[in-house]
Amino acid sequence: MNEARRSHWAAVRAVAVLVATVLLVVWTVFPFGWILLTSLKEPRDMLAVPPKLVFQPTLANYEALFLGKQRGAYASTRPDFPRFFLNSVLISTGAVALSVATGILAAYALARFTFPFKNQLAFLFLSFRFAPFITFLIPLYLLFQRLGLYNTHLGLILAYQLITLPFTIWMLRSFFMEIPVEVEEAAQIDGCSWWGVLTRVMLPLSMPGIAVTVILGFMFSWNAFNYPLILAGRQTFPVTVGAIQFISYEQVLWGQMAAASLVAIVPQLLLSLSVQKYIVRGLTMGAVR
Amino acid sequence: MPAVTARGRRRQNALLPYLLLAPAFALLVGMLYPFGLGLYYSLTNYWLQYPHLFRFVWLGNYVALVTEPLFVYALEFTVGYALVAVLVQVGLGLAIALFLHARIPGRSVVRALMLMPLMMPPVITALMWKIMMASTTAGILNYALSFLGLGPINWLGSIRGAMASILIIDTWGNLPFVSLILLGGLQSLPGEPYEAARVDGATPRAILRHITLPLLSPFIVLAITFRMMDALRIFDVIYATTVGGPADATTNLHMLAFQYSFQWYQMGKGMAHAVVLLALVVVASAVLLRFWNRAATHTAA
Repeated sequence: MNEARRSHWAAVRAVAVLVATVLLVVWTVFPFGWILLTSLKEPRDMLAVPPKLVFQPTLANYEALFLGKQRGAYASTRPDFPRFFLNSVLISTGAVALSVATGILAAYALARFTFPFKNQLAFLFLSFRFAPFITFLIPLYLLFQRLGLYNTHLGLILAYQLITLPFTIWMLRSFFMEIPVEVEEAAQIDGCSWWGVLTRVMLPLSMPGIAVTVILGFMFSWNAFNYPLILAGRQTFPVTVGAIQFISYEQVLWGQMAAASLVAIVPQLLLSLSVQKYIVRGLTMGAVR
Repeated sequence: MPAVTARGRRRQNALLPYLLLAPAFALLVGMLYPFGLGLYYSLTNYWLQYPHLFRFVWLGNYVALVTEPLFVYALEFTVGYALVAVLVQVGLGLAIALFLHARIPGRSVVRALMLMPLMMPPVITALMWKIMMASTTAGILNYALSFLGLGPINWLGSIRGAMASILIIDTWGNLPFVSLILLGGLQSLPGEPYEAARVDGATPRAILRHITLPLLSPFIVLAITFRMMDALRIFDVIYATTVGGPADATTNLHMLAFQYSFQWYQMGKGMAHAVVLLALVVVASAVLLRFWNRAATHTAA
């Protein structure tokens, strides 16, 4: 009797675990599946009641996206998606390159040297991670108009430093601090200057960490929306701002928007796989290993 | 380098950190300058369309805020949303972390799948959900609800629906973050307290309450901190779905500052709203830092 009851409860528990697991997976994955389906639909199938799960798939939305074959009636929604994609690549690459070039040196100083106001400086960099974007967006917009940086790749790369530089410095610092000081001291005794220590010891040893920082920094830049929404124009829009161009006062081009969303996240999905173990560390600026 | 004496090397080392920091510091100044400029503009009546009326108004913009009903609402909505979002996301995140920690079958697959929403651009996440919430009749979400005998819900068109939608979208994107931080925390906890509790015959519930949660508290505070900061300034999701509507119901301080500056071009007023939001963030981070210190020392003791 007691035995039977116990096995009964074990069965209930197993079913509950299964149901919870399935719910969690559906909740996580379903939105991706649904935009994939939406991106393959004709406009007439788009708002069918009830929603169509079986339909004649078409690549017309992707054609419109990449070849500029406009199918909607309104020219105002015509996006130049290939250019937006290229803009995203250019701006994100530039932002990361600038941040890493300056961040390696700064992170090394913050990881290995003691000097006055060191912690305050480190926290000043960190505070940019939490500051609301709008506090910088308003003055940057006015400044960029004046300096001719508005609607330029260079301007956006500079603005993106607010995202990538604090991240790069804190991530690299956490990686540098993992390398034992003794390794460095040994190199110093062998006659290496600080430059030799940095380039021949620290950088090779922290290469995996630098690679992770570059990839995650690129992804954070890719996600940026606020700054380019205001500081970019049609020539410099990245994919994030490009994707909302399918929404206009007249109509929403659902199919093309779904296709654009999917194309916009392809790099994110691929890069996520390569840095799986470090994503949480990256999102917490190196705080959680 | 035999030519460099010990003294010379020491002097070189004293200057070195500053040299190393110089390039990043230059960029830092480049960030602080616009920030300072913004603070100054918040004390002016800067209106982009009327440059000739530009005037220094001291704290005029801030004083005017108090009598502006929409500001008061936006402030309440910002704080209220952040509190609810953190509560929901950390609560559910903790449940999921405990669930995954219990060695359920297929855990590694679930964990890997949960990484997918994590690095999505928030604006794309919002568009994905906007498609699912599309219209009350044709959206897949309402179709799914109809099988449960619920709905249809006017997701983005009604006041309560729009608030719920933003919370759902935000949660989809950030729940994995909380879950994975807490799961990592659970996996790093020491084994001894659990063995001692088992010897004493403690119930699972007592173990959770008296051992797991206290030991996990630094991770919980960390998750709360990051989520709170991002929830206070949530913008991308709102902009891509409701643009603050309907009837300004989802207008938070960030959205309101944005509208003042880039729809009505009242830069001074917009910047005053932004500064209030920043002050809110600073206060919240100071409070959370205190909790963090307490949690950290508590666990160490």
